Formats: sequence, structure tokens, C-alpha cells
Amino acid sequence: MKLIRKVRVKNGLGLHTRPATAIVKLLQHCKSSVSFSYKRDTINAKSILSILMLAAKKNSLITMTIEGEDAGEIMDKLVTAFDNSFGE
Amino acid sequence: MYSVQDLLQKHAETLALKIDAGKNGLKRRITVPEPYRPGLSLAGYMKQHASKRILLFGRVEAAYLADLDAATRKQRLEALIAPPSQIPAVVFARRMRPPKELHLLCEKYQVPLLRSSMSTTTLLSRLNMLLSEQLSRTINCHGTFVEVFGVGILIQGDSSVGKSESALGLIERGHRLVTDDIVKVRKKEPGYLEGFGAELTRHLMEIRGIGIINVGHLFGAVCVRDNKSIDIVVKLEEWDDQNFYDRIGLEEKYCEILGIKLPYHVLPVKPGRDLVLLLETIAMNHRLKGMGYHSAKEFNAKLLEIIASKQKRRPREAHPQSKG
Repeated sequence: MKLIRKVRVKNGLGLHTRPATAIVKLLQHCKSSVSFSYKRDTINAKSILSILMLAAKKNSLITMTIEGEDAGEIMDKLVTAFDNSFGE
Repeated sequence: MYSVQDLLQKHAETLALKIDAGKNGLKRRITVPEPYRPGLSLAGYMKQHASKRILLFGRVEAAYLADLDAATRKQRLEALIAPPSQIPAVVFARRMRPPKELHLLCEKYQVPLLRSSMSTTTLLSRLNMLLSEQLSRTINCHGTFVEVFGVGILIQGDSSVGKSESALGLIERGHRLVTDDIVKVRKKEPGYLEGFGAELTRHLMEIRGIGIINVGHLFGAVCVRDNKSIDIVVKLEEWDDQNFYDRIGLEEKYCEILGIKLPYHVLPVKPGRDLVLLLETIAMNHRLKGMGYHSAKEFNAKLLEIIASKQKRRPREAHPQSKG
């Protein structure tokens, strides 16, 4: 199963270390491959340095691509996390 | 997006470039790497005019312009520069002075007018080479890129298989880190790949249980480098008893990145296997192959020779028996 969806970064400081850690933690046991695309970069979302490299600011749009057996579940979790501004 | 300003900022010195007019047009985009010498277009033949390439004027073009009368000169130059033409810039080689009509036109249409002290053909080839590199497609690869004994090894594999840890081990042994986690790959001329890190995360590593470390600061400047050609791809994967791993090394495996074939090794990871030593061995073996010695092939040739010599001997030995 392959899912593609766009999400907006809602927290004030953008995708800094704490949200990036939250994403990596969320994906720790995930079986699917997860990638984020922002501007011209596409990266593996399981790697914290890669997420940080994007340096995505508030209100930037990120395209998430998830491919694998648990894609639906992971997509829901990620979208909720982005919508809740990672609890900030 | 690569603009004339980027070109000037990075390569003004190497190309001996100076701007004469049209400073407002510095944001113009360069999309085609090859410069264009506007011979026929200057003569008024505008079919197939290369409207997106940098216009390069050499001695011939300048002499031709000087021979034209002022009105024609202006009209021909205007046809080259004015929209719909989207030329990024006009360059005069050999420190030649552009005609004043061109000055005015460049200011009017906001096209940068540059001058260089280099000879036309040298400038043409250098511009072409630099721009081809700058405009070539860059892709992101997940992995760790290290230089081991001068060989660029791109280590790939799933998360937490041990890429960063093996890189750390290699650095400790005096090898160099180019980038961890995210490798940007660009095709360079003539036909090889260059790997480099992202500006923000350059020389940073993330080690589980420690966090983010800066290798350049921790181990010193000798242990890092900014870019390197990619020579081998090694994929680390969890040891799978069902999988049959390469035992001889006769069969060369390749993988393709941006259309370029690279030697490819699959290295199974298992507790007790010293990955650092294995990666060093792969690098040394690669160097040896480059020097013309292929351990596996050499051994195979020797083996075949011995078998063949035994087979030759056997009929003679069998002969007396048949007689008797």
C-alpha cells in the first residue's frame, strides 16, 4: 500500500530537534518506508539528521509518502502529530 | 535555480569575469550549460536562435560588429537580446570592449554584460564544464559516505543496521567522513558521481544513545572532507541464514545511480563480524583491482590451469595401460 499526503507544519519554531525526535520515535517500529519531500529534497523520515536538514519553517508544506503494510496506521499517527503541533 | 549572480559569486575569479552593465539583470536564470557564439545570428539569420544560452563574443564577433554601421549594429544586437529572447548574459572574451550600443541595450533590457580576460575558446570550455556541473541533477541518498584509503564508499542499509557506528570506527582508524545519513549525489564530467553532505548537517553524526556529534570538531579536520567521488556502494543488511552470500567474489555486482554503474557489495551484519575491518578490506581490494590484480580471478585462472594440466597428463598415463 502506498499513501501520499501533504501536511502543514503548525508549530511556531518549525521542524526543530524536538518535533524531529517525536517523528523518529513514532516511526521506530514502523515496517513501511516513510519519506518526506520539502522543496527539492526528499529524505528518509526515519533518520533524524535528514529531517533536521530540511529546516522546515512554520507553515511549510511537507509531502509524506508512506509505502508498506502499516501505511494507513502510520499516516494517521503522523497527521495527528503534525496537527497537534507535536504537543507544543 | 542557478542565476548569473551565483555564477559571478562563485567563479568570478576562476573565469576572470567582471560586470560592465545590466546589474539589474543579475537574477536571470541560467538553464542551459553551453554558451553560444552568435555568428550567424549576428549576421541576421535568426532561425534556431539559441535564446536561452549565454552569448559569448570572441574576436570574430567583435570585429564583425565593428564593421557594421551603427544603425544595423543596434538592430542586430537588439534582435539577439530583446524579449522573447531569454538569454541569461552576454560575455565578451579577451578583455574586449563591447560596443556602446550593447551597453545601452543591456541596461534597457536588464541583461548582465560581462567581460573576461580569458581567450574565447578557453572561456567557452570552462563555462561549459562549470555550468554542466552546477546544472546537473542532484539526488538525495540515504546512507553514510566515507573515504577509506582514498576510496569513496557509500554505505547503505536500513535504519539502525550499523552504518553510523561503522563509520565512527573507520574515522577512529584514521579514515574520513564525508557525510552521514543524507548523501547528496551529483553527476560530474566525465561520467563519475560525486557525493557531498547538506550544508546544515555537514560532518554531523547521530549515534543512538549519544545523540548528535560533530566529527570535524571531535576528531579534527583531518577526519572529514567535504566531497568525494563515489567508487563503491556497500549495502549492510541483517544476516539472513536463507540468503547465500558471495563466497568467491568472481561475480562482479553493480548498482546504478544516476545512470552510472558502481561496484556493489552486500555485507551481512552479525555480532562478531568486524565491519570496520571488512570495509577496509573492500577498499583495499578495490584498489588492488584498480592496479590490475583481481584476487578471485587470479586464483581461478591458476586453478583452471592446474586442472587443465592434470587432464593433459591423464591420457598419456592411460596410454601404456591400454597397450598393455
